[in-house]
Amino acid sequence: MSRLDLHVADPPLVVVVGSGGVGKTTLAAAMGVESAQAGLDTLVMTFDPSLRLKDALGVGRAAEDEELDVPLDAEGRLAASLLDAGKTFDRLVERYAEDEASRRRILDNRYYRHLSGHLGGILEYMAVERLYEVAREKRYDRIILDTPPTTQAIDFLEAPRRIVDFLDSGALKIALRPWFDSSGRLKTTSGLGFVGRGLERFLDRIVGMQLLRDMSEFFQAFEPLFEGFHERAAEVETLLSARSTIFALVTGPGEARIPDTTFFARRLVETGHRLGPVLVNRVHPTFDVEAQQIAEGADLLQWLGASHEQGLLELRRRFPDDQVLVSLPVEKEEPTDLASLRAMGAEVQRQLVAPSPAGERDA
Amino acid sequence: MSEVSGATAPVIGEEALDRLVGRGLIVVTGKGGVGKSALAAAIARALARRGRRTLTLEVDPRENLHQLFDVPPSGGQAVTVMPGLLLQNLKPQQVVDWVVRRQVKIEMLVKRVLDSPIYHRFVEGAPGLKEMAILGHALRLLRGETPGIDAVDTVVLDAPATGHGIYLLTASRLFADAIGEGPFADMAREVAELTADAERTGLVVVTLAEEMPVQESLELREALEEQFGRSPELLVINGVYPPVPEAATATGGDADELLDLWRHRRQVNERELNRLEQTWSGPRLVLPLEPVDRGAELVARLERGLEERPVNGTEALLP
Repeated sequence: MSRLDLHVADPPLVVVVGSGGVGKTTLAAAMGVESAQAGLDTLVMTFDPSLRLKDALGVGRAAEDEELDVPLDAEGRLAASLLDAGKTFDRLVERYAEDEASRRRILDNRYYRHLSGHLGGILEYMAVERLYEVAREKRYDRIILDTPPTTQAIDFLEAPRRIVDFLDSGALKIALRPWFDSSGRLKTTSGLGFVGRGLERFLDRIVGMQLLRDMSEFFQAFEPLFEGFHERAAEVETLLSARSTIFALVTGPGEARIPDTTFFARRLVETGHRLGPVLVNRVHPTFDVEAQQIAEGADLLQWLGASHEQGLLELRRRFPDDQVLVSLPVEKEEPTDLASLRAMGAEVQRQLVAPSPAGERDA
Repeated sequence: MSEVSGATAPVIGEEALDRLVGRGLIVVTGKGGVGKSALAAAIARALARRGRRTLTLEVDPRENLHQLFDVPPSGGQAVTVMPGLLLQNLKPQQVVDWVVRRQVKIEMLVKRVLDSPIYHRFVEGAPGLKEMAILGHALRLLRGETPGIDAVDTVVLDAPATGHGIYLLTASRLFADAIGEGPFADMAREVAELTADAERTGLVVVTLAEEMPVQESLELREALEEQFGRSPELLVINGVYPPVPEAATATGGDADELLDLWRHRRQVNERELNRLEQTWSGPRLVLPLEPVDRGAELVARLERGLEERPVNGTEALLP
C-alpha cells in the first residue's frame, strides 16, 4: 500500500485506472485541479472526455496532442492534453516513418487504415509512451494519466506487455521475412527445413495467400516503427513499475463491481506496481427515512443507498486495513465546471490524508 | 414532461421484441457499465419464450453471464439455461483452431501448428481475426455446423463495449474486402453478408440517460450509418430514475435530501431523454432503474420491461 497526497509532488506520476463507465476521466480532472490548487504544476492527460468536461477544462477538439493551460486561478499551473484514440496510430507513423515514401505506404495501406488501430493494446501502449515522454521532460511536478476505457481494468496493465511480446515473437520475424518475390509469388523457404515447409503449407492453406501478402506488406512497412517501439518498450515498462508511479484505482459502488476491483488490485501488486488509493465513485447516500411516507418510488433511492453502503463494507473487508478507500458521493450533476471539479478534488484529498484510512468504516 | 417533437413518428405500443424476433443474429452493445450483459440475457430469455431456439454468446474471457442466468459457468461449452435457451462463453481462438483442423487433415501437423507459439501470436496479433472468428462461430451455430449443438434460430451476442462493438461488425467486412482468397476470406465474406443483411442481423444499443453514454451511442449510430448504411434496430435506455411524484412530501432532514437528489438525477435523465428524442430517429425503449443490481432477478425485471413497455412516444419518457 502506498499513500497518495495530492498536495505533495512525490510520487509525481498518477495513473488512473478502472473499468469503463466509472468516472475515471472526471476524477482525474478533479485530482488535477486539487494538485494545481496546492501549487503543483500539473498536467492531466486524458482520452475522450465528455463535451462538457472539455468545456470546463477549456480543451477543444483543436487541442488534440497539445497541452493547453486550463484557466484555473490557482497557485500551480494546470494543463490538460487530450489523447485522441483515432489519431494515435497516425501520429506514431508520422514520428517513426523513415521518409515520406514509407510514411505514405503505411498510411495508404488499406489493412492499416481499417484494422491497425485495433492491433491489440496499441492505444494503451501509446498512452504510457506519451506519459514517459512528458515525464522525462520534467516540465510538471505532477502528471495524472487517465487511461483509455477498457472493459476490464486489468487490460490496461497487460497491454504494453502484449505489444512487447508481439514484437519479440516469431510471428513478427516470420511476417517480416521477404515471403514474396517481385511477381507476388511465395518464395521457397528451404532454409527453414521441415518446419519451414510445414509453416509455409500452414500459411498457404490456412491463412490464404492474399491475407499473407497483405499482412506481410503491412508488417514490412511497419518495420521501422516496430524498432522504435521496441527501444521504448522496456523503458515504458520500467516507468510503470517505478517508485515514481502510483496507481489510483477507480470503481463504482455496488457489490457487482467488487470482483473486478479486487482482482485488479491484486494483479497490480503482484506485478510489482504501486497501488495507491481505491476510489469508489458515485456512491448513493443512505437516508434515515420512512420512504413510503415521502412518495411512491422513494424506496428505490433508499435501496440504492443501502446497497452501496453494503458494497463499500464488503470492499473494505477484502482489503488490508491500511488500504486507503475513498468514497465519493453521487453528484446531483456530473461535475462539469471548474468549481465542481475543485470541490470533488478537495473531497478526494480530504479522505486521502484523513488519519483513519477507512473514512467510511468509522462513519 | 412537455411535448417534444421527435424526429420520427412514434411507434407507440409496438413491442421492442417484435423488431428482433425474426432475426438470426442480435448484437447487443453499449458503453461499459450500462447493463449491456443483463440486457442481452433478458433479450435472449424473451426470444426463447417466444419459441425461438436461442443461444447467448459471451466473448469476455472473464465469464459473468452465467451468474445472470443462475447456471454454472460455460467454460467454453454450451450450457442449457432453460428449454430452448443456451449459453456459451467463446474463446475466439477455439474458432480459429477449428478452421485449422478443418484445413489440415493430418493430426500430427495440426498439433504442430496449434502448439506453435508463432501461431498463437498470429491469432493474438492479426487485427480483425478474432472479431471475424466470433461472428463466424455465430454463423456456424445458426447453420447447425457446431458439433454437439443443434442449430439455433437466434444467437444473441453480448458484444464488447461500443468502440469495439462497431469494430466487431466492420472487421469482417474489411477483412473480406482486403483478403481475396483462402478459408479465412471465405468465412469473412459469409460473415460480412450476414452482418450487412438487416433482415438477418439486428443491432441493439444499450445506454443510460446520462451524457457520456448517450454521446457514445450517438457516435456509434453515426459510425454505423457511415460504414454500414444502416442504423441500430433498437436503443434501450436503461436505469432511468422514476419521476418524482408531485405529491411527494418532504418532512425535513434526510427526506429533503432524498427528494433533492432524486429530482436532480431525474432531471439529468430527462435532459438526455429529450436529447435522444430529438436526435435519435429510430425505436427507443426506456427501462426504469430497478432495485436489484445483478443476478436472475435483474434479468427477469428487464425481460418484463422488454415485453411490456411501449417503444417511443413521449410517454416512454415516463417510466
